[in-house]
Amino acid sequence: MFLPRPLLLLVFAAVSLRAQAPDDGLMMQRKTLSTGVMYMHDSWNEYWEGGLKRSNGNIGTVTTQSVTWVGHFGLTDRVSLVGELPYVWTHASQGPLHGLSGVQDIAIALKYRLLNTAFTEGGTLSAIVVGAVGIPASNYNPDFLPLSIGSASRRASGRFTLHFESKADWFIDGSAAHTWRNNVNLDRAAYFTNGQLYLTNQVAMPDVFDWKVSTGFRKKRVFIPVSISQQRTLGGGDIRRQDMPFVSNRMNFTKAEASLMYGLTVPTDLAVQIGAGRILSGRNVGQSTTITAGVFHTFHF
Amino acid sequence: MKLSRLRIVLPAAISCGAVLFAAGCDNSVHLTEVLPPLDAVSLDANAGTWRMILLTAPTQFAVAAPAATNSAAYVAELSAIKSAQANLTGAQRQAIAYWSGGGVLRWNQIVRGLVARYNLPPAPAVDGTYPVPSPENPFGDPSFPFANPAYAARAYSYVSTAQADALKSAWYWKYQYSRPSPAKVDNGISALMPVSDLPSYPSEDAVLSGVTVEMLKVLFPAAVEEITLKAAEQRNAALWSGKASASDIAAGLALGKSVATVFLARASTDGMGTAGGSTALWKSLADAAIARGEIPWVSQESPARPPMLAGFGQVKAWMLTPAQIITERPAPPPSTSSAQMAQELAEVKQTVDHLTRDQLAIANKWNDGAGTYAPPGHWNDITAEYVRDARMSEVRAARVFALLNMAMQDAAVGCWESKFFYFNPRPSQLDPTIKTPIGLPNFPSFSSGHSTFSAAATVVLSYLFPAGAENFAAMRDEAAISRLYGGIHYRSDIEGGKAHGARIGAYTVQFAQQDLAN
Repeated sequence: MFLPRPLLLLVFAAVSLRAQAPDDGLMMQRKTLSTGVMYMHDSWNEYWEGGLKRSNGNIGTVTTQSVTWVGHFGLTDRVSLVGELPYVWTHASQGPLHGLSGVQDIAIALKYRLLNTAFTEGGTLSAIVVGAVGIPASNYNPDFLPLSIGSASRRASGRFTLHFESKADWFIDGSAAHTWRNNVNLDRAAYFTNGQLYLTNQVAMPDVFDWKVSTGFRKKRVFIPVSISQQRTLGGGDIRRQDMPFVSNRMNFTKAEASLMYGLTVPTDLAVQIGAGRILSGRNVGQSTTITAGVFHTFHF
Repeated sequence: MKLSRLRIVLPAAISCGAVLFAAGCDNSVHLTEVLPPLDAVSLDANAGTWRMILLTAPTQFAVAAPAATNSAAYVAELSAIKSAQANLTGAQRQAIAYWSGGGVLRWNQIVRGLVARYNLPPAPAVDGTYPVPSPENPFGDPSFPFANPAYAARAYSYVSTAQADALKSAWYWKYQYSRPSPAKVDNGISALMPVSDLPSYPSEDAVLSGVTVEMLKVLFPAAVEEITLKAAEQRNAALWSGKASASDIAAGLALGKSVATVFLARASTDGMGTAGGSTALWKSLADAAIARGEIPWVSQESPARPPMLAGFGQVKAWMLTPAQIITERPAPPPSTSSAQMAQELAEVKQTVDHLTRDQLAIANKWNDGAGTYAPPGHWNDITAEYVRDARMSEVRAARVFALLNMAMQDAAVGCWESKFFYFNPRPSQLDPTIKTPIGLPNFPSFSSGHSTFSAAATVVLSYLFPAGAENFAAMRDEAAISRLYGGIHYRSDIEGGKAHGARIGAYTVQFAQQDLAN
């Protein structure tokens, strides 16, 4: 028996799909808190086993859903703090395998705007650096991909974002990050990956590089980013033919996303967001389609 | 003022946070089965008299007398070692360090790695059928073999038994000729591995390399290149370390290869060739279950996959005759229509639906499913640490693994015979709402393979390492119950398998009691 699955996505999707996230060009105003919940529905019925795209009757469609608490607080006009905590549950539509559920990883990011300057007469350019950490918030099982809820690895990342906002209400930004990940401990004393048997329960997790380019429209009440992003895992083995995925696999993908955030007039300070994304190509991941919906409230202190 | 300070402090805090965290990111992994240089507590000088498994006598393959240590030919061999030692590269020193951990233990690790690599079921073809791995086309898709638990049990047993008989024979000739190792003969040669008073002709490292490579070439033919390189490295390490001379090695290699022919001859006629079964066999097994009034096993894979090695119960065992395999078969499981089965099914459902994290950890710990070294490999892993800690001579280490793996091969044969005789459905077949937190094996339920393997191994290991008996029993019980936590076995599968495995293991213990190695 084997099963397939991919999805480091989980670890990253939760932080990449909404406005005011660690990887966008936006900052909160000083002493302002935007907080809310996001719902995500991510599913796929085809995946890449190494480079081979396939389906698998033993899992059918794998669906991952999450509800994530998100908070974004402006410490100053140029420093803000982002936190999030997802509850995740998975399900396979076919076959005997049991889905998993639980609180995934708490993520905390500090965004710092290095620069905010009138770049041309047409708009302003800002540069933002982000330091982020992610820590598993429960003792969940990372060794049952594709139905595990995450990789159970502590991680830290450094990100750099350039954001240009025109006076004509459109923007463009580019962002790139490097993520380091701690070893993962399995419940078993040995595992085989990347052509080798390891006689230990510890798994070395390769670093991850990702980048994202977004463009779109932003006016007072409306924010519409469209983006393309890529994740590259800098090491790790492929899923072998007819094998299950493994936590340290080389999970790569290119993803297109779009979302709409709208600030309601009544009541004020409430915003709703919907979004969609699709994996265009990948390696050791499912070709997932993701939809998100969120509601946020802004508090001024 | 406040703001300008923040501007400086915060970026620093961010980058330090990241850096500190990254520094804590330990990307090396700590291996649990580290092998220090083997310095055996005993030479086991009488091992040439130990009872053979297949060889007729230690002298079945003659080893010619070596040249005298003062002959010109041997002196030239010593000079070759000295010049090799004078120019050792880092890689050569690494090879010496690696093989100084003990050849039997190293090969056991290597074989576990091969099992894990080849323990993958074939992918279905476009038409929904499953291609059969073929030894005639080992590099194809699917590659050969599919090293499933039964195949693995047999493979471990052939490697271990052939090594044991080859080393017993080597020990006989060693003490026949009593030629010391080069480092003992010539103090100009350094002992880069622990060198003992064990006579070095024929070289035990070369015997091991020869016998193992011949067995593995047949068991894992697609890995021939790396196996051959490993074997050559083992012989070179023996030479470079001052442990064996060229003629010690040549004689050992020839002896090892000769002994392998005896075991390969058995392997070619042990029934494995037809163990996959046939459409007619699979149907007759299902029909027989229906005729007994039972619900027959059905594959729950999609597309449905033929059951794993339906004819493995007819493969030759080491200690049990085919008639004994049948007389030791467990009594029937509860009928699929009985109240007891309904109750056991409910227990499985209740267990997986309320699984604790600790129970899941136990299910994962003993899962040993596809892509792993399989349950027999897990018990080899456990045994390796006992062998290492006991600092056994190579021949005694080989005996331990031979006894262990014969018992587990016999357990595999007996268990598969029972599984396909009863052809009992898995819990998730009888109740499709049962979802499993580990992979579902594609063969009948009764009795539990894990329970049978673990009980057979525990009986043998408790005989060999009495101080570990309590630990072995605890691991056996944990391995067995892990299958209930995994939602893939009923309690009666587990209890039946444990009792069955213990009965089977007792046959090997009986052999061990009389093999003159005690």
